[in-house]
Amino acid sequence: MTQASAAAVPKEPPATSDLVDVRLVLWHFTAGMVFLAVAILAGFLFSLQFIQRYPVAGIELFSPGRWRMVHTNGVAYGFLANVFLGALYWAVPRLTLRPVYSRRLSWFIFFAWQAVVLATAVGLVLGHAQALEWGETPVYVDPVALLGLMLVAVNFLAPIFQTSGPMYVSLWYFIAAFIWTVLVYAMGNFLPQYFVGGAAAGAIGGLFIHDLVGLFVTPLGWGLMYYFVPIILKKPMWSHGLSLVGFWGLAFFYPLTGIHHFLYSPIPLFLQHGAVITTIAIEFVVTTVIINFFGTLAGRGDTLRTNLPIRWFYTGMVFYFVTCLQCSFQTTLTFQKIIHFTDWVVGHAHLVMLGVFGFWLLGIILYLWPRLVGSNAWYSDVLNSWHYWLTMLGTLIMFLDLLVAGLIQGYLWRDLSPWEDSLRASMPFWLVRTFSGVMITVGQFMFFWNCYKSWRLGAPAGAPRREPSRGSMAPATA
Amino acid sequence: MFESRSGVFLIAGLGFFGLSFLVMAVLPWAIYYKEPEQTVEQLAARGIIPEFVDLAERYPEQFKQYFGAPTYATYVEALRLGHQVYVAEACWHCHSQFIRPVSNEDLRWGPVSHALEYQNELQRPVLFGTRRVGPDLSREAGRRSNDWHVAHFWQPTSVVPSSVMPPYRWFFDGQGYPNKRGLAVITYVQFLGSWLKEYPYFHGEGPLGPLPAPTPADAPIARGATSGETDSVDAPIVGAATAGVLP
Amino acid sequence: MIVRSESRLKRIVLWFIAIGILAPACYGFTEKLILFILAVRRDQIAGFTIIPIANYLIVTAGMFCLLIWAAKHGMFRNVEQPKYDMLRREAELDRREGRPWSEEP
Repeated sequence: MTQASAAAVPKEPPATSDLVDVRLVLWHFTAGMVFLAVAILAGFLFSLQFIQRYPVAGIELFSPGRWRMVHTNGVAYGFLANVFLGALYWAVPRLTLRPVYSRRLSWFIFFAWQAVVLATAVGLVLGHAQALEWGETPVYVDPVALLGLMLVAVNFLAPIFQTSGPMYVSLWYFIAAFIWTVLVYAMGNFLPQYFVGGAAAGAIGGLFIHDLVGLFVTPLGWGLMYYFVPIILKKPMWSHGLSLVGFWGLAFFYPLTGIHHFLYSPIPLFLQHGAVITTIAIEFVVTTVIINFFGTLAGRGDTLRTNLPIRWFYTGMVFYFVTCLQCSFQTTLTFQKIIHFTDWVVGHAHLVMLGVFGFWLLGIILYLWPRLVGSNAWYSDVLNSWHYWLTMLGTLIMFLDLLVAGLIQGYLWRDLSPWEDSLRASMPFWLVRTFSGVMITVGQFMFFWNCYKSWRLGAPAGAPRREPSRGSMAPATA
Repeated sequence: MFESRSGVFLIAGLGFFGLSFLVMAVLPWAIYYKEPEQTVEQLAARGIIPEFVDLAERYPEQFKQYFGAPTYATYVEALRLGHQVYVAEACWHCHSQFIRPVSNEDLRWGPVSHALEYQNELQRPVLFGTRRVGPDLSREAGRRSNDWHVAHFWQPTSVVPSSVMPPYRWFFDGQGYPNKRGLAVITYVQFLGSWLKEYPYFHGEGPLGPLPAPTPADAPIARGATSGETDSVDAPIVGAATAGVLP
Repeated sequence: MIVRSESRLKRIVLWFIAIGILAPACYGFTEKLILFILAVRRDQIAGFTIIPIANYLIVTAGMFCLLIWAAKHGMFRNVEQPKYDMLRREAELDRREGRPWSEEP
């Protein structure tokens, strides 16, 4: 509240064990990885349908369309949400020097959220889906999920609002994310189902698809990056002022961009133009953030080689810049004519969800896991390296492959070739997609195995460490 | 937080978020009170599609068992169930339901979609879709025969060799006849686009046309009495057929 | 102990970007406002589009209030300070955990 913000740091900060419930972080990460495994396998299974090799065809409970929804929802609500929560339970108390509102509430949220995700998966497989993209959660799960999100907000906002003085940019992002997520989830799941019908609901659906990425995943992801990158590099951000510009830019521009998902739809054109303008403005915001992070890295480029979490983070940031650049092109009406409805969009979605936010979260797990399980080192650095390269190359191949496939489909459609031509032309690309999916899947399972072995290596969480850090997990300054 | 005067701005800021939410629910109602959302009953009152009657004739035993007779009441029931199945199987993830005014889509599929087409119960939540692996379905009505759909749902590659659509065996009973879900989903797909003036492209004279006489809701519809069976092949098919989408 | 004199280059970049964002923002905002008024005066079929526009305006107004609130609370005074504080806290926490940093931030 005053300029004298040095007072914000107490002389004797509380011990970490009072701040962070290490087991909770560990459990959230574990749950996140379990759901990631399920979601990835579901995605792999669904990709086999596209090359006419679906192994369990004709069985109702393995209906590919249903497992596609398990794939997307598993990634969004099972993997991303869980690992986000775990990382927040670590970052927020350490940023504010105050524990979360209630430890018991935290555990309740943990179990409630797993129940929500499980109920969603089971509901989808049984055919209780809701016709809302990224919100297929059965209608009976929606209120519970919303309640869970509200409790999450209370749990984290309590320590944040107790701090005084200028806030660090991560906390800004977190505050916004908690409030936005609740509102966006309610908007996307309830309004089109109960209040709004027809094309107006289409506009809301477009907002929801985009705002889920922009107002739930993006602020949490960037908030965590603004925390983890400086502490791993042991170097302050290049410019805090610039990061705040980025935050407020996001706040002012993001909300209306979502309609660009339905350009040329029965939603009137002038509104679609508005969405295009804000989307391009968002590109400026993205550039500020990218400048800031690479400004921070400047002079420490060697950490990209020596420090694996940093490598994950910055790979994600490069991909982030690519997706956003792609975004500002693909929302123009010229691009939309061709790429809408094609695999281009699917490639874009994979790059965002896995290539950016998935990578960041994997980097965070990579950094924290040895500390959480008490092993203080990874079972195998070689496996971690393989994990990185397989996942990175798999994602890159999938992205480029679907990009090209999308263009081919778009042009074939425009040129009025028979519909089957577009299928035949896509088949080789879908085959490549499946193989890149195999790379990603194998990479993840290597990582899971490594996590398990490291956990076996470590003493129960909180016990004194057994051996010094080694290999790529060593602090960046070593 | 609340002790200072600037707390007003904090509360106002959060208040605006709440207000935006309220507006999103109230405004549509305020705008659409003149164009209320149509129920399935109102949609059905425009006329039963001939394909529904055709299903009753083609699979008399199954139709009788699951629906009874092809009346307005059962038509409504079939549409509702068909829509439910369409959503549950996530058909809308691979089949869009809107025609854009660009990329020659009106030549391939038919007339460009209009906002009012979506102002009904079967478009809640709206089924625009975001990906087209298979063809758009919003102009599908009458484009293909019921037989084609039955074969296609049983084994898509049997009619479209390069199809990547999964077989939907659970739309069929033990003997390979469509069950209730199968009949319903075919009715729903054959219904999509039947509300258009241009629908007779594929049908000679359109669905049942204007109703012949006020019919009791449960009276069975006789086929010959209503639907035009004339020269469906020579009907003015524009764009769509020449574009080569017919199997 | 903490040097707060940011480089001139950094300040130029900051202002350039702040203006680079504000300019398209004002443009987009004004255009939307005009379209909003036009849409309301048109028939009700096109009118449903005022829903997202109205919402955007309201949410932006909310954001604006929060911005004023933050400014009034001195969140933007000493704007570079939090990044040093944050790093110092982290170093202190790690030191107490038995993981001292080799260099002081």
